[in-house]
Amino acid sequence: MDAGFWVLQFLNALQYSMLLFLLSIGLTVIFGLLHFVNLAHGALYMMGAYLGISAAALTGSYWGAFILAPLGVTAIGALLYFTLIDRLRGAGPMNQVLVTFGLIFVFLDIARLGWGDIALGLDAPAGLSGTSNLLGVSYPTYRLFIIGLGAVVMAVLWLVLARTQIGAMIRASVENGDMAAAMGINVGRLFFAVFCVGCALAGLAGVVAAPVFSATTGMGISILIPTLIVVVIGGLGSLQGAIAGSLIVGLIETVGAAFLPSFAAVASYLLLAAILVLRPQGLIPARGT
Amino acid sequence: MFHQTPTRSIVLVFALVALALYAIYGGYFAREIVVEIAILAILAISIDVVAGFGGMVSLCHGAIMGVSAYTYGILTAKLGYPALPSAVAAIGAAAVFGTVVGWITARTTGIYFIMATLAFGQMAYTVIFKSRWLGGDDGMGGLPRFDFDWAGIAMNKSLPFALYALLLVLLCYVAAAWVMRSAFGRTLCGIHSNEPRMRAIGVSTIIHRARAMGFSGLLAGVAGIIAGQHIQYISPELLFWTVSGEALIVVILGGLGTLIGPMIGAIAFVLLKHELSGYTDHWHIVVGLVLIATVLAGGRGLYGQIEHWMTRRKARGAAQNA
Repeated sequence: MDAGFWVLQFLNALQYSMLLFLLSIGLTVIFGLLHFVNLAHGALYMMGAYLGISAAALTGSYWGAFILAPLGVTAIGALLYFTLIDRLRGAGPMNQVLVTFGLIFVFLDIARLGWGDIALGLDAPAGLSGTSNLLGVSYPTYRLFIIGLGAVVMAVLWLVLARTQIGAMIRASVENGDMAAAMGINVGRLFFAVFCVGCALAGLAGVVAAPVFSATTGMGISILIPTLIVVVIGGLGSLQGAIAGSLIVGLIETVGAAFLPSFAAVASYLLLAAILVLRPQGLIPARGT
Repeated sequence: MFHQTPTRSIVLVFALVALALYAIYGGYFAREIVVEIAILAILAISIDVVAGFGGMVSLCHGAIMGVSAYTYGILTAKLGYPALPSAVAAIGAAAVFGTVVGWITARTTGIYFIMATLAFGQMAYTVIFKSRWLGGDDGMGGLPRFDFDWAGIAMNKSLPFALYALLLVLLCYVAAAWVMRSAFGRTLCGIHSNEPRMRAIGVSTIIHRARAMGFSGLLAGVAGIIAGQHIQYISPELLFWTVSGEALIVVILGGLGTLIGPMIGAIAFVLLKHELSGYTDHWHIVVGLVLIATVLAGGRGLYGQIEHWMTRRKARGAAQNA
């Protein structure tokens, strides 16, 4: 095991962490604002990948998919918001879990009806399809692009949340929704906007993941659990928590799997259980208590 | 709170007799369906005990069932112990697993409880999935059925096995109804509706929650034994979280907090699945839409909705008489 091996493992972990981040940030902010548990978030990720493949075939370019897939998923999300999610906001976690679990089934079959049961691939864009030399290892350029994209999204979200008026409104609404509404913030419209951004990021994660993992109907369910772990470990509703959580889970599941394969598989669940029992508000809670 | 109303008793007897007749006069395929219904019904009843009465929505009941099935498999197929004591030990192991998970997660509520049970269930799944000794993802075969040849009952035939599964459904229902009617069941409902008050009058909510999960685990363990004996082969898929999710769907479709509802839900779910898969490959979308519609319609479920209509009619009748 030389240094190159470590760099490789670390880059793999980072790339997986960024995908988890794109998914978990939507999930966690939606929970923080709407107190809504959206198990169908993984299904939106899957729809992002499939819509991306169709969009790439339609426009003949990866970048067409890169733009269109998140927009398509946002449209699906908006539809869900007005038909189901707005109605279920006060309905308690069990009803939310059940309805969104039902949505997983619905999207699973929509994907099978629309794109079939075979795993579909998407070609990485021409400029990113090769490998690059980084710290003495050659690494697929496209995966570096994922890492960079995640970092950019992270930075933009951080800036928006920490430095802009919209960010202050979102933070105020997470802290105390009623009070924020009383101060004249249109909390309903804010909720909808945040929900759409969360869906767009899930769609983006899907289309970005498609060239690496290829799109399958099971991808939504298999990414859902790590995403939920990230969200809970970091603290429901917390941006910093989602960043920390996705890095932790990404490291455990890739680097851990290389060294202690049998332990790594259980480790993230152990961590999740420990957090839930000992520190249910998460590592970096959204609300200052 | 749970009441074993006359209607519920009639529906229970009627459903079990109908299933038994279906098994007797239907062919081999009908008996397979009856066993499948029985396993799902017991699992759904066990989830109803915690979710319907204690408000604890568990996503680890598939894992509890799997712990029982695997313990049974280890004791019989691996270590060669006789079937009957092994089954008792396996159900005990499921109850212990349920109690431990219940005790650790007892301080969490709502979505945190759901996530915590998910974590423990997936842990059990992963451990078994990764264990070479337990067959890993290949599963484990060679689980024996009970030997009742001395009584003239050939358990290896499909009909006696289907009837035996139905008998266990009846036993599990009676046990669940009895426990939910006891002081313990009432306390559990109290904890669900107002936890601070129950604590204020001196009830240890943690111990009650843990016990509820233990009892529920015991029932899920019975389902695990039938599942293991049915095709005499088990795989880690039994423990995956979607198994619990599917059983939870059955509970909701049938009627949460009624005990008889989950059984009706299991019958409807399995029959629907087999009927639909004859016509279309895409029965999941139907199940998903029915589930969403059920929750949006008030979440009473099939049986719960009928009971709701009946009580409303009775109330209206009483109002007219007065």
